[in-house]
Amino acid sequence: MYRVFLSWRFLRSRRTNLIGVFGIFLAVGALILILSIMTGFLEETRISARGSLSDIIITMPPYSDSRRPRDPAPVLELLRADERVAGASAHLGWMCILTRQDERSLRILVDSQMSEIAGIKLTGIDPATEDNATEFRPSLDRAGRNDDGEIEAPRVRVANLADPFAAPPEYDASVGRPRASVIVGEKVMTYHGLRRGSFITLMTAVPDPASDSGWSAKKREFVVAGCFRSGENEIDIERVYIDRGQLARFLSGVSEDDALPEDSIHFSEVLVKLKDYERDAKVAREAFGAQLFRAGLIDESCSIRTWEEFRKALIGAIENERVLMGIMLSLILVVAGFTIFAILSMMVTEKRRDIGVLTALGAPPQGVLVLFLLIGFWDALIGALLGAVAGTWMALEIDPLEQKLSETFGVQIFNREVYMFDSIPSVVTPLAVAAIVVGAFVCTLVFAAIPAWRAANLDPVEALRNE
Amino acid sequence: MSESGDFVLRARAIVKRFESGDSELEILHGIDLDLRAGERLALMGPSGAGKSTLLHVLGLLEHPTFGTVDLDGRDAWSLSTQERARLRNRYIGFVFQFYHLLPELDAVENVMLPAMIAQSRREFRLDRRAHLAKARDLLSNFGLAHRLKHRPAQLSGGERQRVALARALFLDPPLLIADEPTGNLDRDTGELVLDLIFRAQQERNLSLLLVTHDVRLAERCSRVLRLEAGSIVGAVSGRG
Ligand SMILES: Nc1ncnc2c1ncn2[C@@H]1O[C@H](COP(=O)(O)OP(=O)(O)OP(=O)(O)O)[C@@H](O)[C@H]1O
Ligand SMILES: [Mg+2]
Repeated sequence: MYRVFLSWRFLRSRRTNLIGVFGIFLAVGALILILSIMTGFLEETRISARGSLSDIIITMPPYSDSRRPRDPAPVLELLRADERVAGASAHLGWMCILTRQDERSLRILVDSQMSEIAGIKLTGIDPATEDNATEFRPSLDRAGRNDDGEIEAPRVRVANLADPFAAPPEYDASVGRPRASVIVGEKVMTYHGLRRGSFITLMTAVPDPASDSGWSAKKREFVVAGCFRSGENEIDIERVYIDRGQLARFLSGVSEDDALPEDSIHFSEVLVKLKDYERDAKVAREAFGAQLFRAGLIDESCSIRTWEEFRKALIGAIENERVLMGIMLSLILVVAGFTIFAILSMMVTEKRRDIGVLTALGAPPQGVLVLFLLIGFWDALIGALLGAVAGTWMALEIDPLEQKLSETFGVQIFNREVYMFDSIPSVVTPLAVAAIVVGAFVCTLVFAAIPAWRAANLDPVEALRNE
Repeated sequence: MSESGDFVLRARAIVKRFESGDSELEILHGIDLDLRAGERLALMGPSGAGKSTLLHVLGLLEHPTFGTVDLDGRDAWSLSTQERARLRNRYIGFVFQFYHLLPELDAVENVMLPAMIAQSRREFRLDRRAHLAKARDLLSNFGLAHRLKHRPAQLSGGERQRVALARALFLDPPLLIADEPTGNLDRDTGELVLDLIFRAQQERNLSLLLVTHDVRLAERCSRVLRLEAGSIVGAVSGRG
C-alpha cells in the first residue's frame, strides 16, 4: 500500500519531477510527430510513385538486332489472357529536348541550375488501353484543380478526357500542316510557360545505321493539348505524353498522317495491372517472365519488375531515413530518461532519512526499490500519455498548425513547392505510437532502476543517525 | 512484573565491529540481554559507549558481527530480509531522538504508516476506517486532537515526538525501543512525552527498552543496565 501512496506523495512534493515529466512529454510528442510525418512522406511517395507506374513493368529495349517482334500485340495478348491481369498496355519512351520560340528555352538550356527540366521523357501511350494499366486518366483529371478538388484553371486541362490527344480547341488547323498533340506534365507547362494550344518543338536522336555516327537527329513541332498532374515532382517536371503511333512516326521521320513503316520502333515497355497486387505480384512476375521467354517475346536484355522493385531506391531511401530518424530521435528518450535518473538520484540523496525511517518501520528493500521505481513510472505515465496525446494531435493537425506558425512568424516552415505536396503528409500509426510509449516506459524505468537500487541498499542506521 | 519465563527479547553474545580504514573497531564486546514482557529496561552509559549501536542490533536495523537476537522466539538475524522486515514491522515500535516523521504526510498518515507497510492496498482499503479511527484516538489520547491534519513542519518538537510515539504504538507491537526520546526536548516537554511512554507501556504491558542519560528517569524503570565502552558493567533494579 505504502509504495503507491508514498511514491505519489513524493512525486507531488518535488517540483523537479515536473522537469522529468516534461522531458518525457517532449520526447514522446516529438517522436510521434516526426515519425508520423516520415511515414506520411513514405506513403505519399508510394502513392505518387504509383500514380504513373503500373503493378508490373516489363522493360523491353528496342534494339535493332533483337529478334523479338516489333509490335507489342503478341505480348499484350499473352498477358491479357492471364486471369490475374486487369489490364496491360504498351509504352514507348524516348528522351527529348523541348524548345519553343521563346527566350525562356534558351535560358533553360544554358542554366546549369535547372538541369532537372532540361530533358523531357516523351512517353508514347495507347489512350484506349492505357486506363486499364495505369493512372493516366486520373492524372489528367487532377490537372488545374485546387486543394479542394475544384477546377480552378480549366484552360490547362485536356479539353476532352475521352479523347485526350484530339487537337485542343485553341488549335487552328489552317496554320501549316497538322500537328500531333502532346500532354505535358504540369511543371513542364509552368517552367516552359506553355498554354493549351502552344506549339513546342521536340528534338532527339534515333539510331540510324546509314549515318556515319550511327545516329540521326529528329525534330518535330507538336501542339500542347493540356497538362496532367501525377503528384510526383519527378514525373510532372519531365514527362510528356503522346500517342504511341505518333511518337513512332516522329522517330521514323514519317508524316503524322502516313502509315508506320515496318521497321519503326513501336514500344519499349509493357505495363501490367493486376487484379490483386498484394496477393499475386511476386508469383505473377515470375510466371510472366517464364511464359514470355518461352514464347520468344522477351530476351536477356529485358527486365520484368514489380513497381516497388522499380522504385526500390527511392522507397528504400525514405524507409531508411525513417529508421535513422527514429534511432536519432530515440536519443531524446535517452536524454529524458537521464533527466529522470538525475532527479531520482537527487531525491534518493535528499530522502535518505525517510528511507531509513521506512526501513525501521518494516519496509523491505524490495519495497523501497518499487517505491522509487514507481516515481519513475508516474513520471513516464504522465509524460508519455500527455506526449502521446499531444504528438498525435499535432500529427493530425500539422497542416493548419504549420500554416498558423508560418503566418505568425512570417517564415515558410514547410515549402510545399519543394515537396510537391498540397499539404504536409502525416500518418499516425497506432502501432508506432504504442511502441514509442512503451519505449518511453522502458527507458524511464531502466534509468529509474539505478537510483531505486541505491535507495533499496541504503544502510538504515547510517541514514537515521543524525538530523 | 510479569513472572512468565517468556522473553520478548533475548540477545546472546552480541559483538559488533566496524571496519574503519584497515583496522577493525570493536564497539560491542559480547553482550547478553534479556527482556521480559512488561519489563522496563533503561540503558545508560557515557556517550560513545555503544548504546545506540546495541539498540540498532536489537531492533534489527544493524547486523551484529557475532551473536544472536531472538525475537518472538525466533533467531531474527537468520531470517530472510523479507521476514526480518515483517518482524520489525509487527514486533517492534521505534521512537527516535529526532522524531523521524515523513515530512510529506500529515500526523494521521504518519501514524498509520506501519499499517500501510504491513498491508496490501486492498487490505488497507478495507481497514481504512478502523485505521483512521485508531490513529485519531491515539493522537487525541496524546493531546493532539487539534493537530490531526498538520504536517510535521507545522508541529513543535514535543508534538512531533508524540506523533512518533503514536506511530510506534499503532500496530500494538510487544516491544518498544526508544533511543533518547527526550534528548531533543526541553525539560517539561520531555517529562510529558515520558509520561505518555510509561503510561502506554503500562496500559499495554509492553516491554520497553530505553536509552537515556537522565538518572531520575532511569529510576522509574524496572531495571537499569550500564554500558561502558561496549560492555555491560552494572545492573541495578529500579523502582518502576
Ligand atoms: N558505522 C560506524 N563506523 C565506525 N564507527 C562507528 C559506526 N557507528 C558507530 N560507531 C562508533 O561506535 C561508538 C558507539 O556509537 P553509539 O552511537 O552506539 O554511541 P552511544 O552510546 O549511542 O553514544 P551517544 O550517547 O552519544 O548517543 C562510537 O564511538 C562511534 O564512533
Ligand atoms: Mg546514541
